[in-house]
Amino acid sequence: MPSLFLGILLLGLRVTESQASGLAPPQQVRLDADTEAQKLLVTWEDGRASTFDVEILRTELMEIVFNETVVATEDQSTGKHQWNWTSPVPLECTSLSVKVRSRDGQDVSEWSSQQILPGLDLPDNTDSQMYPEGKTVPVGSNMTFCCIVKEGQQFGSLLYKDTLVKETMLSRRTYATTMTNQGPSNPSGTNVVCSDEKKMIITGAVVFVGYPPMPSDLVCETHDLISVDCQWSKGRETYLFGMARQTYYTLNGRNCSKARDSNMRCGLEQWDGNWTLVARNLLGEFRLTDAAELGHRVRPVAPVNLTTPEVYSWNASVGWLWKYNGYERLSLICQVQRTSHSNSSTQTYTGYGLNTVVLKDLQPDEKYNVKVRCGSQKNFWKWGEWSLPLSFQTKMDRPVAPDIWLWMDSDNLGRVLWKPLTKSESHGQISGYEVTLWSPEENSQQTLTLPQSMYSLPINVTDRWSKVTVTARNPAGVSLPANVVIPRHLPDAEDTTISKVTFNGSGFPLSWVAHANASCGYVVDWYNTSCTHDCNVEWTRVAADNTNTMVQSSNFFAGVRYTFSLYACSSESTVLLERWHGYMQELVPSRTVPRLSPNQEGSDVQLTWDQIPLEHQRGFILGYTVYLTNASHLTLLANITDPQLTNHTVKNLVLGSYKFTVKAYNAAGEDGGATVSISLDPYTYWLIMEILVALGTMTCLLIIITIACYRKRKWVKKAFYPDIPEPKLPGEWGITQGTLDVKPSPHSMVHIVEDSVWDSSKEALVTVPEEDEEGTGDEEADTDEPASLRYYNQVVEEGSSSRGRPHASDSSASSTGSMDSGHTDVTYTGIQTSACSLAPMAHFQPQPDASQCAGGGGYRPQMQSASCPEDPQTGPEEHLQPPVGSFGGYQPQCSWKQDSPEADGGGLDQACLGSPTSVTSSQFLLPYDTSEEGKEHQSSASTWFHNLLTGKP
Amino acid sequence: MAGTRTRRGTGSEQSRTARAAALAEQLHHECTLLLDLYRKKETFAKELTVSGDHLVTVPPLSSQLLPNDMLWRLYSALQQCRNLLERAIGREEVVGNGEDRAQYENQKKTVRDRLGHLLESTRLLLADGAGTAAFTPEPKNTEIDGPVNGSPFALKLWIYRIFNELEHWTLTASNTLKALHPDGATPKERGTSGRARGRRTRR
Repeated sequence: MPSLFLGILLLGLRVTESQASGLAPPQQVRLDADTEAQKLLVTWEDGRASTFDVEILRTELMEIVFNETVVATEDQSTGKHQWNWTSPVPLECTSLSVKVRSRDGQDVSEWSSQQILPGLDLPDNTDSQMYPEGKTVPVGSNMTFCCIVKEGQQFGSLLYKDTLVKETMLSRRTYATTMTNQGPSNPSGTNVVCSDEKKMIITGAVVFVGYPPMPSDLVCETHDLISVDCQWSKGRETYLFGMARQTYYTLNGRNCSKARDSNMRCGLEQWDGNWTLVARNLLGEFRLTDAAELGHRVRPVAPVNLTTPEVYSWNASVGWLWKYNGYERLSLICQVQRTSHSNSSTQTYTGYGLNTVVLKDLQPDEKYNVKVRCGSQKNFWKWGEWSLPLSFQTKMDRPVAPDIWLWMDSDNLGRVLWKPLTKSESHGQISGYEVTLWSPEENSQQTLTLPQSMYSLPINVTDRWSKVTVTARNPAGVSLPANVVIPRHLPDAEDTTISKVTFNGSGFPLSWVAHANASCGYVVDWYNTSCTHDCNVEWTRVAADNTNTMVQSSNFFAGVRYTFSLYACSSESTVLLERWHGYMQELVPSRTVPRLSPNQEGSDVQLTWDQIPLEHQRGFILGYTVYLTNASHLTLLANITDPQLTNHTVKNLVLGSYKFTVKAYNAAGEDGGATVSISLDPYTYWLIMEILVALGTMTCLLIIITIACYRKRKWVKKAFYPDIPEPKLPGEWGITQGTLDVKPSPHSMVHIVEDSVWDSSKEALVTVPEEDEEGTGDEEADTDEPASLRYYNQVVEEGSSSRGRPHASDSSASSTGSMDSGHTDVTYTGIQTSACSLAPMAHFQPQPDASQCAGGGGYRPQMQSASCPEDPQTGPEEHLQPPVGSFGGYQPQCSWKQDSPEADGGGLDQACLGSPTSVTSSQFLLPYDTSEEGKEHQSSASTWFHNLLTGKP
Repeated sequence: MAGTRTRRGTGSEQSRTARAAALAEQLHHECTLLLDLYRKKETFAKELTVSGDHLVTVPPLSSQLLPNDMLWRLYSALQQCRNLLERAIGREEVVGNGEDRAQYENQKKTVRDRLGHLLESTRLLLADGAGTAAFTPEPKNTEIDGPVNGSPFALKLWIYRIFNELEHWTLTASNTLKALHPDGATPKERGTSGRARGRRTRR
């Protein structure tokens, strides 16, 4: 009940409002659709208002697509209002509902009745469709495509080209997508495909996106002086193809059906003077205009039928025909382009109706291609097309004189060189050369004919010839002669300064000071510096007034040193002025320094190497770098900037192994580097010297010790080797010694000094020698001794074992002991009352220290013995038999020899008694029989020491 | 209509069948390539399939059919394919320039020529040699002549369907002719079977 009341109230208010405004709603609203343009024309009748509210909805989903107040003037003739609306969505996509109401300020009328523009998605239209289809739009356009799926079919997706795009549902069967800023299409257009959920194509549309035409550069001209031929540029690509969408052209209203692709030209039969070109496609049209007088736009056609009426060695004439007769009265300017094997030049000729020209400055025996094109000389517009080429060959002529040069291989041998004649110089096929050697002094000549392949002739400058002439020959004749003077005195190359010259990209720039004797100019020759035999020599000539040149050659190679020599040329001789060395391009040396070797000098290492051979230097060696190589790392030790210095000393190295790398470098860089290893020894020589010094020191020390020991041998013996009485009594001693008759010497007397106190200045024993023994005492040492002191009780034995025995110190006692025991091996031979026997002592052993015997009592240990002189002495005859047997009877060593079981009587005689004994050295002065040595092994240590003391080896 | 020949034919017939099978196989390869070129030209995604009925209408090729009947139906299908291809070539406008266009146009001509050769080879295999007695499309099938509404997309889709039909029927022809051949292999394959025994065959 309340709601009913509210509805009635609202209806009442609306009626009241309408009546209050006084505006009548639009009547007879009508919709007219232009589907191609997607425009909706709405017309209605109502003459009182000028503004209207228009509301447009998608009928099916009731979505408002337009709701605005518009101004619609009344058409006076029909009395209707009309309003156009361009739909962003194709009108076929879905139904639209339109209603209108009048507005006057804030007053509005009621809405008109709703008019519906039916879409193609109505149920009675069951097929699938897509809109817009086949539309042509400009690049950059925005477009909305809609897909109406088949009744009962399920929509899947929309693809623009092959890209999936987002869709919007417009109705139950309609889905739309909007593409913005579209790019140019493929030639067949851009496809928009609508598919179902199974990826099956339902329908689709094609849109052609491109540009309107925009040609340029319209130019019209005449070739035949009657008709017109217009050309233009196509300009920007339209991206529109096909009969319906391509660009069409008209010239002054006439179709240019042949204007296709890149052939943008169109012709008219008569010269109009003004031309308008219209280019048109579906997106628009473009106009171009041109205007000119005929005489200003003459472009002659290409000459035809070229011929050569006359051909000579140095010139020829060329003729042609014109296609149009009108050219006979036309002033023409023609270009004739002639091309020989590598040269091309163009000459210009003029004339009315020009159809023949004479070509000058041709080369003999040369094949030419000529072609001609012409233009109007008056009011020149453009050159016409080139004619087809014409070929001809000029006749031969005699060659030019060859360029010759004399190059010295050595002091006496040289080569006359001449350059092969080029095509432009030979004037025909060269058949050979003639070389003439002249001797003006002897008025003689010699001519040699050389084949065409020879370009040099060796000569000896010491021969009588002084001038060489070379001529070249071809079928047309002989060339003028070319001369070169053979120098009598060769320039001294050693005195010539040599500079460096740098390649500047095109050649070697050389300059020099003018030389007074260069009457016929200068010659610069060059060759590979490292070449030694049959070198390729090139040269160039410089005029006398020039003092510089640029040496260029196709035979320059990188990394090769060239020597350039400048000669002053005169009629008499050539003079070497200057020399240069240069590289076209320096390369790093191609090899390493040779013979790299290390040499240890104490803690230093001197590296030496040889210079890289010239052909491997490949640049001016600037120096060397010395590296210490550690694994792959190089440590720079020195940079030797003097290329002549080929050694380097690395100082203060510690012991170890080192690898050194030496690299030569030039402007291009370093070579690969030569590496050498060295292991520093611990100063071998020093070590050897130390050893030698040590040995020497030890030797000296030993000598000093030996000397000291020798000089103090008694003390030594006493200190380290005291006499130990240890007589041995061999069991058969009595038998063995039985043959010895011990007799007291009748000539010896021992005077016993009755003095209880020992006086070293007096002899303890005084021996009265025999008279005949006096003469034997010729030893100097003995001369000072008192003759009475002939001490014979010296222990004389072989081997150290005897030293332990107190032979002499207590000889009498020992003797007595021996006698008593009958086992002692001590035999006192020749000792009379004392142990001193003068004769043997003086005879066998010089006494270096006479005091020991004289002053000190001789052999002190014995002298200290008080019983020394007590024993009766042997007879004097035993003194007369030295050395065999006994020498006076005192032979303790002989007794000791009886230690050995083998020591028999014979052995005693041979070994002991036959050997003189030095008193001082306790050494037998005559050598033992070697057979005895084996018996003494047991005392070898003592022997050694004894030998040491005695100096015996 | 059904021929009296059996699969055990004469030696020359076997050779002809083998040659036809090899030709069909080669043609199928060409049709596949043509289809790829068309997809590329029209930027049709490969996963998209074409809708609509088959443009070529022949009774189904059953394995229970006599060989000659199978050949005859196959011949009819290929003949319709050739007609469709001719129409497609005639209606498709040659536009654009460049290498892709030239390759596509050449491929169309290649398929057309090879299809003519396959038709002739197949006709020779028929018992009566009566290629003229082939099936004709159903008169109601208006799609044979292509779209008439001037829709560029409809024309493209129609050509796409024709190329699909070509690819389908040349594959069918290749398989059928191989099946009809006694050894089931092409002469080339048989010629190399002795050496290449155990190796993978071409198909």
